[in-house]
Amino acid sequence: MLKVDRLSVHAGPVELVREVSFGIAPGERVGLIGESGSGKSLTALSLMGLLPEGVTATGTARLEGRDLVGVPERRLKDLRGRRVSMVFQEPMTALNPLMRVGAQVTEVMTLHGVPAARARERAVELLGRVRLPQPAQVARAYPHQLSGGQRQRVMLAIALANEPDLLICDEPTTALDVTVQKQMLELIAEVAPALLFITHDLAVVASVCDRVLVMYGGRVVESGPLREVFARPRHRYTEGLLAASRLTPRGTRLATIAGSVPPAGHFPGGCVFRNRCPHATPACESEPALTGDGHAFACWHPHG
Amino acid sequence: MILYLLKRLAVLLASTAVAGAVVFAFMAVLPGDPAEIALGVNATPEAVARLRAEFGTDRPPVVQFLDWFGGLLQGDFGTSYVTSSPVGEQIGDRLGVTAVLVAGGMLIALLVAVPVGTFAAVHHRDPLGAAISAASQVGLAVPAFLAGILLVFVFAVRAQALPSGGYVPLAEDPAGWLRGLLLPWLSLGLVQAAVLTRYVRSAVLDVMREDYLRTARAKGRGRMGALWRHGLRNAAVPVVTVLGLQLATLLVGAVVVERVFVIPGLGDLLLNGVAGRDLLLVQGVVMVLVVAVLLINFVVDVCYAALDPRLRGTR
Amino acid sequence: MRGRVNTALVTGGALVGLVVLAALVSFVWTPHDPTYVDAANKLREPGGGHLLGADKFGRDTLSQLMVGARTTLYVGVVAVGIAALLGTPLGVLAGMTPRGWQAELVMRVNDLVFAFPALLLAVMLGAVYGAGTLTAMIAIGVATVPAFARVARAATMQVMVTDYILAARAAGRRRTAIAVRHVLPNIGSVLIVQASVSFAIAILAEAALSFLGFGTRPPTPSWGRMLQESQELLFSTPRLALWPGLAIALAVLGFNLLGDGLRDHLDPKLRRVRAEG
Repeated sequence: MLKVDRLSVHAGPVELVREVSFGIAPGERVGLIGESGSGKSLTALSLMGLLPEGVTATGTARLEGRDLVGVPERRLKDLRGRRVSMVFQEPMTALNPLMRVGAQVTEVMTLHGVPAARARERAVELLGRVRLPQPAQVARAYPHQLSGGQRQRVMLAIALANEPDLLICDEPTTALDVTVQKQMLELIAEVAPALLFITHDLAVVASVCDRVLVMYGGRVVESGPLREVFARPRHRYTEGLLAASRLTPRGTRLATIAGSVPPAGHFPGGCVFRNRCPHATPACESEPALTGDGHAFACWHPHG
Repeated sequence: MILYLLKRLAVLLASTAVAGAVVFAFMAVLPGDPAEIALGVNATPEAVARLRAEFGTDRPPVVQFLDWFGGLLQGDFGTSYVTSSPVGEQIGDRLGVTAVLVAGGMLIALLVAVPVGTFAAVHHRDPLGAAISAASQVGLAVPAFLAGILLVFVFAVRAQALPSGGYVPLAEDPAGWLRGLLLPWLSLGLVQAAVLTRYVRSAVLDVMREDYLRTARAKGRGRMGALWRHGLRNAAVPVVTVLGLQLATLLVGAVVVERVFVIPGLGDLLLNGVAGRDLLLVQGVVMVLVVAVLLINFVVDVCYAALDPRLRGTR
Repeated sequence: MRGRVNTALVTGGALVGLVVLAALVSFVWTPHDPTYVDAANKLREPGGGHLLGADKFGRDTLSQLMVGARTTLYVGVVAVGIAALLGTPLGVLAGMTPRGWQAELVMRVNDLVFAFPALLLAVMLGAVYGAGTLTAMIAIGVATVPAFARVARAATMQVMVTDYILAARAAGRRRTAIAVRHVLPNIGSVLIVQASVSFAIAILAEAALSFLGFGTRPPTPSWGRMLQESQELLFSTPRLALWPGLAIALAVLGFNLLGDGLRDHLDPKLRRVRAEG
């Protein structure tokens, strides 16, 4: 359904995302994981055509046969909010503070041709569907009268309003309280048609997704079914990420990945992870390809 | 909302009373007894005392103040010791002229600044956007009276298209009224537009970086559509503050511009009052101008609440 | 970013430097006595001994401009000094006790003073004590106090929630000690920017007052009065308005640019690049 092929993102001469390829089938829930600065948000934003000024995407991305990259804004804005929707990280600032919540949900429908009266009715239904209590009352509220979790539900209602083919969530629960997080994740898993879920939190990915893509330095370094990747990581970065997130017995040292993520444009050539990798050899100076069926990885010295 | 309005209104009234006391105290220390001045050096002490009693200046200052301020609240500004004519009437005649001057200037400023500032924000990476910023920076450095002199030079001296000064009442000659006000309006408006353009630009620029604008685009709005529907009203909140401040400066600017163009407004009246040592007249005009500034602040606060639901304090 | 030239700072600095230089030089040398009335040179065209010509009294324009720069700076320094000395402590006090009665009082008084623009204050003061440079400076200074107090209050409120202030307060340091040792140094850059911007506004106010006859009194040269005197001759000798007008505009532009440049220079937060990803 969604087919991304060699998607790259550049800011001037700096390459931020390099030749990312993946696909999402209808009903599939794919996680995109990695530390901040790995290029996962940019990948998502380029699918929406919402890259910041001065940042451009190349390559192809097709949703049900429609191009998402390299097409004029005029065509893209027709797809946004209708065929593909996005929920952002910060619920506190993502809603217009001067507009009633109901009007903001209604807007996404009237924009794509739903008659106003029908859209207003459906907005209340949608608010109920994302489990907001007393949806009619919420529709009349202003964003500042709602909590972060409630606002994120409103964002989800906006995203689902036109029954899109694909829902993209960029760290949708990071800014929320832990107790609210769980409910939100269950809701997303339940209502998403097909999902691209971006997070740095491995536990969150494990509870929502069937398949994962691991990104580092603007590249996909490992991909495959969630259980397999988490149980038998092959790329040394994935291995380190999993080790760092594992609960350690009292008294043992918490495993971490040496060093920190370099700033964009300062990743080493060849394997992007080699300056932090304990297993790096001179062979890593040439770039490893992402190989393997189902469970693929790009590493010269894979684990196991 | 109503509570908020009442609170603001109470602040307005209290500030007016204190401002009145300040103005009165200022004028009360003025050297020279109005009665002595009115009668000249050869007056007998009895005559001076009689006139003092007539003016009421023989009473304690507090009583005089309460009398004056109480009159103000009823629209009575007192009778001038110098010209023996009611101060309120003189002010009333001039107030309209100054109000028209300020309103026209503000209108021009808004008509120029809102589109130009928005354009400069949207095109902030282009040379044209940068050029607008630079031009507004230069405009900021030109005081209204200097702009007035420049405009007179261009349109009255060189082009001989408009009068260099003077004022014709609207009722007498509408075309002459308009021609006479055009340059004063432009001097006030263009300078104010330069200031306002900068604020509009930065407010729109801030709003363009907001997450909710990205949300609007994610819904399927184009860049300009998102800005128009979600950005401008949000950008209006900081701009309204500035607008209030600008109206106050405009009021003061009008005083000077009236001098440049020989327009019989409040500023002209004030300066004449000072020149003629007309105490009550000066007090009255200053009070009117101060209350105007306070009123503008009040209206700005109310506009805030109307624009931004977060300030209404209701659920 | 280091190495990138801050255009506003350089241009503003150069313009302000020019005004300061003209003022300083005028103490030791001017082409002519700026107040010397010389019927022979009445409305003299530029050239010869009078580089920019002479006015209707035969006074040398360049000399007047140079001494006028002195007047302008003098008024600006005193006015901004008054505003900073009164406004800063009030603002810091209000900012350190944001919910206290002191803050409420300061802000209310502030709003009230704000209702008296410099020009009105100057006219009132002028009516009572006679117009002059001193009354103009005091009026402009007092009218600028609210701007300083507001900026100082806002900056103080930001500083008060930082960790090092919380630590100092937890350590039981006295309030005045915190204000002097921690708050003031941290809001200094904001105040310097405000001073530069206020200086520009003070120049505008002084020019307007002198134009109305409520500022510097003759024979002391002042740009605003030069403009006023030139107005009646606008039809015959427009250059008499050109030079003081240009001087005012360039001086104000200089201080405004200096303020903008300093803001960019001192506040690296404004230059941050949003990193996404």
